[in-house]
Amino acid sequence: MRIRLMKPWLFIMPALLIYLTVIFVPSLYTLYLSFFNWNGVAPTKQFVGFRNYADLIFRDSVFLKALANNILWTIGSLTIIMGIGLMLALLLNKKIKGRIVFRGIFYFPFVLSGVIVATIWTWMYNPMQGFVNKLLESIGLENWALAWLAEPKIALYAVFVAAIWHGVGQPLVLFLAGLQTIPQDPYEAAVIDGAKPYQMFWNISLPLLRETFVIVVAITMVSSMKVYDIVYAMTGGGPAESTHVLASWMYFQTFKFANIGIGSAISMFLIFITMIVIIPYVYYTTKKSHV
Amino acid sequence: MKKWMSVWLSILIATAIVAGCSSGNGGSSNGNVSSNGGQQGAGEAAAENVTVSLWILNDHAWIDGAVEDFKQENPNINVEVSKYGVDPLKEALKVAANSKTLPNMWFTWGGSLGSFYAENGLTADLTQIAADHNWSEIYNQAAIDMSTYDGKVSGIPYHLNAVDMWYSKQVYEELNLSAPATFEEFEAQLQTIKDGGFIPLALGGKNGWHIMRLTEQLLEHFAGPELHDQLNSLSASWNDPAVVQTFEKIKEYTDKEYFPKGHVALDQAEAINTFYPGQAALTIEGTWLDRSINTGGFSTDDYNVFKFPTERVSVFAEMFQINGALDQAAMDATVKLGEYITSLEVVNKYIDTYGTPATLNVTFTDNTPHVKPLLDMATNGGFLITDQALPQEVVQKLFEAQDKVALGEWTPQQAAEEMDKAVNDYKSKNNG
Repeated sequence: MRIRLMKPWLFIMPALLIYLTVIFVPSLYTLYLSFFNWNGVAPTKQFVGFRNYADLIFRDSVFLKALANNILWTIGSLTIIMGIGLMLALLLNKKIKGRIVFRGIFYFPFVLSGVIVATIWTWMYNPMQGFVNKLLESIGLENWALAWLAEPKIALYAVFVAAIWHGVGQPLVLFLAGLQTIPQDPYEAAVIDGAKPYQMFWNISLPLLRETFVIVVAITMVSSMKVYDIVYAMTGGGPAESTHVLASWMYFQTFKFANIGIGSAISMFLIFITMIVIIPYVYYTTKKSHV
Repeated sequence: MKKWMSVWLSILIATAIVAGCSSGNGGSSNGNVSSNGGQQGAGEAAAENVTVSLWILNDHAWIDGAVEDFKQENPNINVEVSKYGVDPLKEALKVAANSKTLPNMWFTWGGSLGSFYAENGLTADLTQIAADHNWSEIYNQAAIDMSTYDGKVSGIPYHLNAVDMWYSKQVYEELNLSAPATFEEFEAQLQTIKDGGFIPLALGGKNGWHIMRLTEQLLEHFAGPELHDQLNSLSASWNDPAVVQTFEKIKEYTDKEYFPKGHVALDQAEAINTFYPGQAALTIEGTWLDRSINTGGFSTDDYNVFKFPTERVSVFAEMFQINGALDQAAMDATVKLGEYITSLEVVNKYIDTYGTPATLNVTFTDNTPHVKPLLDMATNGGFLITDQALPQEVVQKLFEAQDKVALGEWTPQQAAEEMDKAVNDYKSKNNG
């Protein structure tokens, strides 16, 4: 009896040990560090309690901007990137000519590193020689040509467009895999019953994609909370600190300013915010799950 | 059971974020960390063979040949070189310092960037070695001074860079201009260049420090050497009329479109591409630009340098710092390598790609014709480049102020006040 109870734990133990060692314990250590004023190497750490958290909220305007940017990024990812991914998956799930080529084309940007994507799009956005402005000029829309990354009000959105191009491949593949597990029978029955395509999508595809949605939403949310490379490489957080996200500001605080405590506090904000959203979401969706 | 599994799954997903972001010992290091790096030298003190690990920037290509030469001359010393980009090197060093895995020797900049390691007791005190080995006869004294913190020599001088104005001869000839002698003449030329259809100043503001090179020259002009030094040492208030005047000029130059379009977000690599082919007339760069011009396939004959109309020039040093935790055998081998790769013999052999050495009596070639004139400009005096003179948090505020003034989000007066506030915040935090 005891062996039977222990069996699952024995199987999970290697992965659990690795996880605890490289992720969970460092995370606890990060929480501990967030209560100190420390430069990372000095022999003594000054205990400051919750001051790092309070300073971030009440004195650091860049942190609040970064937090707002992360929220915007998450909303954009959950709607636009996921929406486009789903739409493309539905299209590419149909028996159209060349769909394998199209699948490759749409998935290709996702295999590129964020820094490569950032470099490509930075040059495309170049105000003087970039593809975007040249294209606008060539079609008579020169008045629309802007310094895309230099305007604080639009710079983050310009980076987000690059992120869409980069990131849409992931939900596309996951949704496509989900769609291919749905049997044809319900669709055939629906056709016989005279259902329209949008009704089949709403009443068959979407409910049967529930498991896929759990994964896609969780991955998208986590990815958008820790977004860093594409923002850092395209704007460096500028202009005027307007495009910082929490991860980039954490990098600045930790590695540029050697404020380990504040950097750790930003990390903890990231984890708290994510848990607040993810725990109810996973709990709710798993409760309604078919498995 | 399912409920608890769900909660656990959520916690695991959420903590995964921290794994990518945590800043303590769990933080990830990136780049080419040598598997044999860290303090292996100390561990092999008694061994006959010593391994010296060296971290350096990835564009210092000459190092490979020099290290091979060194290894041939010293078969009992193995050298392992790890190369990084600028920001990855800074990050890797911070992580290594935090986890006590610094290499035997590493490249670093002077000022507040190099002082972090010296002031936290991570570097070897080379004062006695400098005296015993007559460094004052080998290296430029200014470079030794800039490698010294709290009276201790904390690095082997490597580069001594001077940063000043470069101009396109083609543009200047076309507009019938010559190097300006006064600030008023300089400003008049900016307008002439603009009217002539060229970009006056090929500077990109994405990383902040390229526009900063203009800011610091303007500050030197308006504040004068004494106040400028006081501002950089945080002993004078930044809420000063000279600072306001400086920011007013940044705003004025932006409004008059003296910078490339969208300059606040432009990488210097993009901005300088307007300078090489003669679309832009001026830029502010250092002694390394000759190398970049050659690498880009342009001719150094098409460009020249002049001194911004102020008394002093922006200068900075680069050095090799040595791990203070090494034992004697590793220390001896590391110092030997450091002195070798900065020796006159090695510098002269690799001079075209070496950069601007801190080593004295170097022979420059025709491939880098502007190095000597730039260094000569610094003989009348130099001020430490701003991003090394100021603490990094204050530097970041300066970059923000430059952007916000240019974009009209702050007035020059507000920018000066914000700078002053950042300085006071830094001082109060670091004085307990």
